[in-house]
Amino acid sequence: MPKLTIDGLSVEVPKGTSVLEAAQLLGIHIPRYCYHPKLTVAGNCRMCLVEIEKANKLLTACSTEALEGMVVRTTTEQVRKARRDVLEFLLINHPVDCPICDQAGECGLQDYYMDYSLRKSRFAQEDKIRRPKRRIVGQHLVLDNERCILCTRCVRFCAEVTKTHELDVMERSDGSFIDLKEGKTLDNGYSRNIADICPVGAFTSRDFRFKQRVWFLKRTPTVCLGCATGCLVEAQHNENVIYRLLPRPNAETNTWLCDYGCMTYKAVLAGDRLSKGVIKNGLIDLEPALREAASRIDEAKGAVAVLGSPWLSVEDNAALARLAKDAFKTENYCFDFEAVQGIKDGILINKDPAPNTRGARMVKEAHGGLSLAELSDRVATGKVKVVVTEARAAGLMKEVLKAAGTRLLVFATNKGEIPAQAYATLPYASYFETPGTFINYQGLRRVTAPAVQAPDAIKPLWEMVNKLAAYSGASLRLHSAEDAIKGIDIK
Amino acid sequence: MAFKLTEEFKARAAQVCARYPVKGAALIPLLLELQEKEGFVAEEAMDAMAQLLELPYSRVKAVVTFYTMFNREPVGKYHLQVCRNISCHMAGAPGLLERLKERLGIAEGETTKDGLFTISSVECLGACGAAPVMQVNEEYFESLTPEKLDLVLEDLRHGRLARR
Amino acid sequence: MTENILLKDNVAGIEGYFAGGGYKPLKKALGLKPADIIEEVKKSNLRGRGGAGFPAGLKWSFIPKDAQGERYLVCNADEGEPGTFKDRELMRRNPHAVIEGMAIAAYAIGSSHGYIYIRGEFAAEAEVLEAAIAAARSKGFIGKNILGSGFNFELFVHRGAGAYICGEETALLESLEGFKGQPRLKPPFPAIKGLFGRPTVMNNVETLAAVPAIIEKGGDWYAAIGSGKSAGTKLFCVSGAVKKPGVYELPLGVTFRDLLEKSCGGMKEGKILKAVIPGGSSTPVLTAEEAWGVKLDYESLAAAGSMLGSGGVIVIPEGECMVKLLQVLARFYHHESCGQCTPCREGCGWIEKLLNRLEEGRGSSADIDNIYAAGEAMMGRTICPLADAMAMPVMSFIKKFRPEFEAHARGETCAGRAAGK
Repeated sequence: MPKLTIDGLSVEVPKGTSVLEAAQLLGIHIPRYCYHPKLTVAGNCRMCLVEIEKANKLLTACSTEALEGMVVRTTTEQVRKARRDVLEFLLINHPVDCPICDQAGECGLQDYYMDYSLRKSRFAQEDKIRRPKRRIVGQHLVLDNERCILCTRCVRFCAEVTKTHELDVMERSDGSFIDLKEGKTLDNGYSRNIADICPVGAFTSRDFRFKQRVWFLKRTPTVCLGCATGCLVEAQHNENVIYRLLPRPNAETNTWLCDYGCMTYKAVLAGDRLSKGVIKNGLIDLEPALREAASRIDEAKGAVAVLGSPWLSVEDNAALARLAKDAFKTENYCFDFEAVQGIKDGILINKDPAPNTRGARMVKEAHGGLSLAELSDRVATGKVKVVVTEARAAGLMKEVLKAAGTRLLVFATNKGEIPAQAYATLPYASYFETPGTFINYQGLRRVTAPAVQAPDAIKPLWEMVNKLAAYSGASLRLHSAEDAIKGIDIK
Repeated sequence: MAFKLTEEFKARAAQVCARYPVKGAALIPLLLELQEKEGFVAEEAMDAMAQLLELPYSRVKAVVTFYTMFNREPVGKYHLQVCRNISCHMAGAPGLLERLKERLGIAEGETTKDGLFTISSVECLGACGAAPVMQVNEEYFESLTPEKLDLVLEDLRHGRLARR
Repeated sequence: MTENILLKDNVAGIEGYFAGGGYKPLKKALGLKPADIIEEVKKSNLRGRGGAGFPAGLKWSFIPKDAQGERYLVCNADEGEPGTFKDRELMRRNPHAVIEGMAIAAYAIGSSHGYIYIRGEFAAEAEVLEAAIAAARSKGFIGKNILGSGFNFELFVHRGAGAYICGEETALLESLEGFKGQPRLKPPFPAIKGLFGRPTVMNNVETLAAVPAIIEKGGDWYAAIGSGKSAGTKLFCVSGAVKKPGVYELPLGVTFRDLLEKSCGGMKEGKILKAVIPGGSSTPVLTAEEAWGVKLDYESLAAAGSMLGSGGVIVIPEGECMVKLLQVLARFYHHESCGQCTPCREGCGWIEKLLNRLEEGRGSSADIDNIYAAGEAMMGRTICPLADAMAMPVMSFIKKFRPEFEAHARGETCAGRAAGK
C-alpha cells in the first residue's frame, strides 16, 4: 500500500489509486470536470493539474498513480495559476447563459470560477464560437452545444454504462461538438443521468427545465420505489412541490437512477391524484366511501380476504394483516409474494418490478397467512367474495378475480392505477409524503422520508386501514405506523 | 435509396481486415477506398461501414468528421488543394490561390458549375523544398508559378492527370 | 565528405538495392542475438529522427523481455511538420532501407507484425512502399521464415487520412486502430501497452532506414560520424529563400552557415537572412545572428534555445512579415489541434483570432501580451506536445521580433504599408 504526502498530510492508499482519489481520502478537493468515479479516466479538462515533486511539469491528479514516497502539492501559486488559466480557456467560448441556464447554482464553471479565478475576460465577446442550442435530443434531455466544455463524461457514460454509444465528439479543434445520429434520440433508459453528470448546462433535464432555481430546493434523502432495486435517491423540493429526484450514489446499490425511477415523483401531483374515494367510476367523499366499503365487507359475512402488496411498506402491509386478523377475523390473507429478483439489464433495473416483495414476506413471517395460490383458489371457488388490497397488487390475481366476479376494494394513490374491476377505491398518502420501510432485493432495509405533505390531508394507508376497521365495527387502535408493526422485528 | 456495399467491396474489406487483429483498424483504409469509388462519404455509407465492421455509427461519424481527407459532399473531378503553410506562403501560395479563384470563378470550398474543379487550401503537404505546392487528387504539382498553374489547369481540362 | 548512408542513388528498386549490398545486414542480423542488436544500436547513439530525438536503442530495450504474446513495430511515416519533407524523399529513393531496417528492428524486439503508418496525402509513396514490400516478400525478406531463420515478419502499409496530430506517437496508434487521432495519456507507455494494447516500438522513417548500415558497419562506426553525442548523418530539409532548397544528408554538427552556403548555394538573389526556424515549425525561431553562429545538432540547438527537431530548416528572408508568418503557423496549429484538452483546443483558436486582429490592424499592444500569455498557459499543460508546438513559435516570434508586432498594434500592417513583397 503506497504511502504519499499531499499538502503536507500523509495517506496510505491501495495500489492503483490516483492522486486525485488519494487527496479525496484526506478531504482535499482537487477541482475536476472530466473525472468521474464511475467512468474511465479521460484527463482532458486539465483542471486537476498538481505539482508533484521530481516531475518537470504539472501532472493531472486524475491520471497519475499515487506512488510510494510521492510528494504532491495542490495549493502552490503554480497550481493556482494553472487552474485560473484552464478556467479562462473554458470561458473563452462559453456563452454567458447563467440567467437562463438551469445549471446555475450547481454549475462546475460557476463554482470553480468563484473558487479559483474571479478573473476578468481578456477575450472579445464578438469572436465567440456559435453552436446549436436547445436541441431536444430525447425524452429527458436538452443539449446546448455552446455551453459544452467537451469533458466527454456523456460520451463515456453512453459507451461504458449503458453501452449504447449514441454520442461522440465530431470534428476536431475548437470545432468539436457532441452529437448523435440525426433522427435518433438519446433515450437509453438511463439518459437523465447524463444531465446529472454534465458539469455545466450543456445537457439539462427536460422535465426540470425552467421549473425552479436550485438554490431554493430542499433536499430529502429517500428511496426510489420503482422496482426491487430500491435505489437511494434525493427528493428535491420547495414549498411542498417536488421538482426532481436525483440519485444518492452509494456503494451497495446505485450510482445512477434509471429514467423510469426518476419520474416516479410525478404521481404525487399528477392530475389524477386521488384525495377522495371512488365508487365504480364516481368520486365520492372519504367518509361515505369508507362507509360503503365497510358495508360491502359486512355483506360478505366473513367471506372477505385481504391481499397484501409488495408495493406497500412493511408498516402498511402489517396494518392490512391486522385488518384481516383482528378486524375481519378471517384467515383469508396473503403476504406471500414470490418474485425472481436481480438486476435484469446489467445496470439497475430489477426483474421484480415491486419494491417490497421481501418486506411483505416479513409480515408473512410474523402473521402467517395463505400462499397466493391458496388465496386465489378460495377466490376462484367463491369461498371469498370480497378482496381488499392495494391497486397494483390486484393485478397479481387479475384473471381469478375477473373470472369469479369478486368484489374488489382497493387502496390507490392515482386514478390511473385503479384496476378496471375495482368496486371501491380509497386514497392514501404516497411514500413521498409519509415514511415507510422497504426491503430491497439485496435484503437492505431502507426507509422513505416524507419530502412533502399529502394534499388535502390524505392519510397514510395504515391510518386508512384503522378507519376502515372502525367503520367495520372493529377497533385496531392503530395510532401510528409503529403500532401497526408491533410484533415484527423490523431491524 | 438505400446505400449498399458491393460484394466486391466486402471481399476487399475482408482482405484489409485480415491485416489487423481487430476489425475496427480497417476503418480508415476502407473509408479511403470507399471514397475513391464514390467520391465522398455519404451518411448511408457511414451506416454501412458501421455495420460491416460492427462499430457504433457514432464512432464512424466521429472518424469521418475528424480527418480532413474525407469529403462529406461530392467534389469536382479535380480537387485542387493548395498548400497554405509557411514555406509555400513565402513562395507565393496566396497569389496562386487567388489566381485559381479568379481563373475558375469560384471561391475556396466551391466547385465549378461543370463539376470539373473544386478549390481548397490545405496545410503542409510535406514537399516544402519545392514550394509552392498543390495537390490535385492524389498527384503533387510542385514548384508552381502562375504560368505553370495555368498549364496544369489546361492539362486537367484535357483529362491529363498522371495519377487518379 | 561523408558518403550518404540514406540518400543513395539507384537503390529504389530491389535489384539496385542488392547491388549496393542491400539485405546483407538483415542476413547478418538474423545470425545475431536480438539483445546484441539492441546493444549495437545503443552504441551507435542513433536518436529518433522524427523530432523527439529519443535514443533508438534505449527505446527498443523498453519492450519487457518476458512479455508474452505479440509485439508490434510501427514506422511513423506521418511526416506533417511544416518545413519537413525528408521522409517522402527517403521513401521514394530508398524504400528498401526502411523495409530492411524494420525487419531488423522487428527481429531485435521480437515482433512479427509491423505497420508503416503513412500520411494519406502520400498516396504515391504508399504505392512505392507496397511495391517494395511485395518485391522484398518475393525474395523472402518479408513474410514467414525469413531467409530460413525461423523468424516471421509481416509488414503492411496503413494510410492516414489527413491529420498532423497523427504524427504524435499515441495519436498514431489511435488512428491505426481506427479511431480519431487523439493522443493517449502516458503512462502507460507504448513499450508496455501500445498498438492493440500490446508492447510496441515506434520509430521514424529516417531512424529505421539507418539501422541496416549500423548493423553492417557497427555502432561505433556510426557513433564516430557527426558531432559528440549527436551521432550519424541527418537528412536536413531546407526550404524558404535559398537558391537550392531540398533534402541534404549531412553529418550532424554541420554549421547552419555551411548548410546554407555550401549545400544550398546561399540565399536567393537579393535576399538577406532575417530568421531561421531550425527544426520544423514547432521549434523556436532563431534570429539571423543566432543562426549564423549555430551548429545543427541536438546539443548546440538546445543550447541556443531551440531544437534540432525534424531537421526542417525554414529560411526566412528580410521582407517577410513575422506577424503574418506567425499567423500562418497559428492557423495551422489551430486547424490541427485534436480538440481533446482545454488549453490547446481553446488556446490555439484564441491565439489565431488575436493574430488575425493584429494582422488586420484591429489589434492592440494588450493583444500581444495576451497572445504571449496564452502561449505560456498552454506550455506543459496538455496531454501531448501540440500545445507546446504552438506555444514555442508564438513565444519565440514575439520575444525576438516584438517591434514588428507593436507596429501592427499601432495600425502599421503589411497591407497598409507599401507592398514590400
